Amino acid sequence: MTPFETLLVGTLVLAICAIFAWPRKGLIARWRRAAERSARILVEDALKHLYDYEYRKIPSTLESLAGTLSISGDEAVKLISRLEGLRLVERRNLELRLTTGGRSYALRVIRLHRLWERYLADETNVREAEWHTEAELKEHAMTVDEANAIARKLGDPLYDPHGDPIPTVAGTLPSHQGIPLTSLKDNEVAAIVHVEDEPAAIYAQLVAVGLFPGMQVRMIGQSPDRVVFDAAGNEVILAPVVAANISVVMLPVEAVHEGPFLTLASLAIGERGMVTGLSPACRGTQRRRLMDLGVVPGTMIEAELRSPGGDPTAYRIRGATIALRQQQADLIYISEPTGTA
Amino acid sequence: MSTPKQSKHEQILSTANALRWEVGERLHDSTIESLYKEAERIAGRSVAVEGGRPRISFDRTLDRLVTSRVFGFPLMFLLLAIVFWITIEGANVPSRLLADFLVDFAHPFLKETGTSLGLPWWLNGFLFDGMYLAMAWVVSVMLPPMAIFFPLFTLLEDFGYLPRVAFNLDALFRRAGAHGKQALTMAMGYGCNAAAMISTRVIDSPRERLIAILTNNFALCNGRWPTQILVATIFIGALVPPHLAGAASALAVVGVVLIGIFFTFLVSWGLSRTVLRGEVSTFSLELPPYRPPRIWRTLYTSLIDRTAIVLWRAVIWAVPAGGVIWLVSNIHIGGESLAGLTIGFLDPVGILIGLNGVILLAYIIAIPANEIVIPTILMLTVLMTGSAEVGGGAGVMFELDSETATAAVLHAGGWTLLTGLNLMLFSLLHNPCSTTLYTIYKETGSARWTWVSALLPLAIAFIVCFFVAQIGRMAGMV
Repeated sequence: MTPFETLLVGTLVLAICAIFAWPRKGLIARWRRAAERSARILVEDALKHLYDYEYRKIPSTLESLAGTLSISGDEAVKLISRLEGLRLVERRNLELRLTTGGRSYALRVIRLHRLWERYLADETNVREAEWHTEAELKEHAMTVDEANAIARKLGDPLYDPHGDPIPTVAGTLPSHQGIPLTSLKDNEVAAIVHVEDEPAAIYAQLVAVGLFPGMQVRMIGQSPDRVVFDAAGNEVILAPVVAANISVVMLPVEAVHEGPFLTLASLAIGERGMVTGLSPACRGTQRRRLMDLGVVPGTMIEAELRSPGGDPTAYRIRGATIALRQQQADLIYISEPTGTA
Repeated sequence: MSTPKQSKHEQILSTANALRWEVGERLHDSTIESLYKEAERIAGRSVAVEGGRPRISFDRTLDRLVTSRVFGFPLMFLLLAIVFWITIEGANVPSRLLADFLVDFAHPFLKETGTSLGLPWWLNGFLFDGMYLAMAWVVSVMLPPMAIFFPLFTLLEDFGYLPRVAFNLDALFRRAGAHGKQALTMAMGYGCNAAAMISTRVIDSPRERLIAILTNNFALCNGRWPTQILVATIFIGALVPPHLAGAASALAVVGVVLIGIFFTFLVSWGLSRTVLRGEVSTFSLELPPYRPPRIWRTLYTSLIDRTAIVLWRAVIWAVPAGGVIWLVSNIHIGGESLAGLTIGFLDPVGILIGLNGVILLAYIIAIPANEIVIPTILMLTVLMTGSAEVGGGAGVMFELDSETATAAVLHAGGWTLLTGLNLMLFSLLHNPCSTTLYTIYKETGSARWTWVSALLPLAIAFIVCFFVAQIGRMAGMV
């Protein structure tokens, strides 16, 4: 073989290897995912859908089921008779209802799903837009014992990163709370309690805007084609159909945070600011680390040095000099800065 | 069975569980907040703070200087250059002395003692030509540079300068998904990859620490510098007029180091986006106050913690490898030595990636330490070409004093410029030595990451050498 032919063969072999073994997009990964989409998954997804509607007090029907699972009406009929055979679902006129057994099965799957989302959010680098899709796969593959081990590791969390409550081992959940964001009147202040993660296209928009549970919002104005509100200092404009996927609770007057939402990243070198809080987007290990360093409400922090590249910046925190990256400093809220050196 | 008691327990538990929903998720936060509040109250009552100045102005001025846009980077390169220069210059003499004693004096002495004690030739050869010589080689090449480099490095660390280096370089590493402190573990890797694995403990974020471990191999270690310099002198230096030879080969070695840095960033970037997505990542970097280095303490800890541990591990691995090296050259099957058979088997693969069977076999059996790769290659080449003028016989590793003599052996073994070039790349990119792998296993506690850290660089080395070989041959190099 001439070197040129060898080169071609080598490149081809590498390309084939890449097509097969590429992480997440390669054929092996795809086949594995396809194999997992078994009948059991359809059953579990159906139960989740029925429970979700029941929780939100919306009657679920054959059409709503077919729509959510993206299957045809025929397939949905087959699926429902299977569920009835398993005594997980019963039909009353056109409405579908969970049996006690079906409800506890649904809660088990939901627990796995939300726990895994919480785990991805707190303990890994998986991006926010991918939490839901990854959990959709994982919820069918995890055993209850594994889930309990993860829950223990995370300190038995109560809510998933979208603000949905995680069912306990016994299957209890608090009653549904929150009102749609769109029901706020102008100038009313509320806190986001839930960001709906389905459908994916709308959720992706909400993630891109940077909305998450715990954030304070103030309604600015609504018209039939747009909703304008202030979210932690930034003005956000959404289509009403998108905004309806956000649930909020009204904030009592004493909990309302007035004034500008400044972050530590806005400090110039030599300026000092007092910490007023950590953004809810700062989670898990990252949040614990910052709090252990003494970044808690009331701490005075001074920006001291900027790296030659502009990022990170070294801050004087409770007598120690700690460098933080801008992305982290953006998650620390401070009061009006004082004193230029 | 006490049923009422049981039900009372259950009642309490279920009440507690129900209450958790009301307590909410802020429990951890508010606990820490109240701890700080209380600590602050106590400190405010009982600790007097002297003066209004929060920090000594000397520290501030020095920080401004070492992290300034103008002086930050030149100062850093200058200090690193000084450390390397002292290491190389300072290690020459003790290395020569150790080699004189351990290899030139003690080795023949031990063999003669063995003969006079009546040991059979094979036991004598196995023990002293194989096991002892490998150990002697590793000690004499490895010990002096490590004993100089590590204390110097630890002094800079103790003074407080190294965290500032990480601070300056973090922006670069952040883009590759890594931690600024990886700059320090890389610098340590230029001394010894195994010691660098221990030093990754300074990176407290799990994902970034794994990245630092898995890519440290691309920092050319002490055992590979001599290989690079020797091969560059013989093959690259010969391309230019004699008065430019030194500069050309130096440039080639610098080029290899830069390729290593490029791969460090490339692989870090790739890893942080694929296999390491599921690992925790946080960032915080403390810039401690400057303080005068404690010289004796530093000397003691760096010699014990770094040098001695690493040297001990290297010796433990080198001794059996020396035995294997001797055995493969001396066991014959059907008139051909085991080495010859393996080389014949490996030759097609070696030639495909621009190397040869001898080099591949040397990299397999000299896995404990890169220091003994060149002596093993020389021994095997002489064994294969059958020229008896140089070397100490089958299974006895050797080095030659002059580069011309080394070049003659290698040319006789069929080496070309392309072989030299690919050897330099292979030496840079291939799997870490077994001492380093063992240290990785100890540090990560995971067989999986140890395998990844061995196979990933090896695959990269094979791919890169393969492409360079084919392109080189297309361009008319043989």
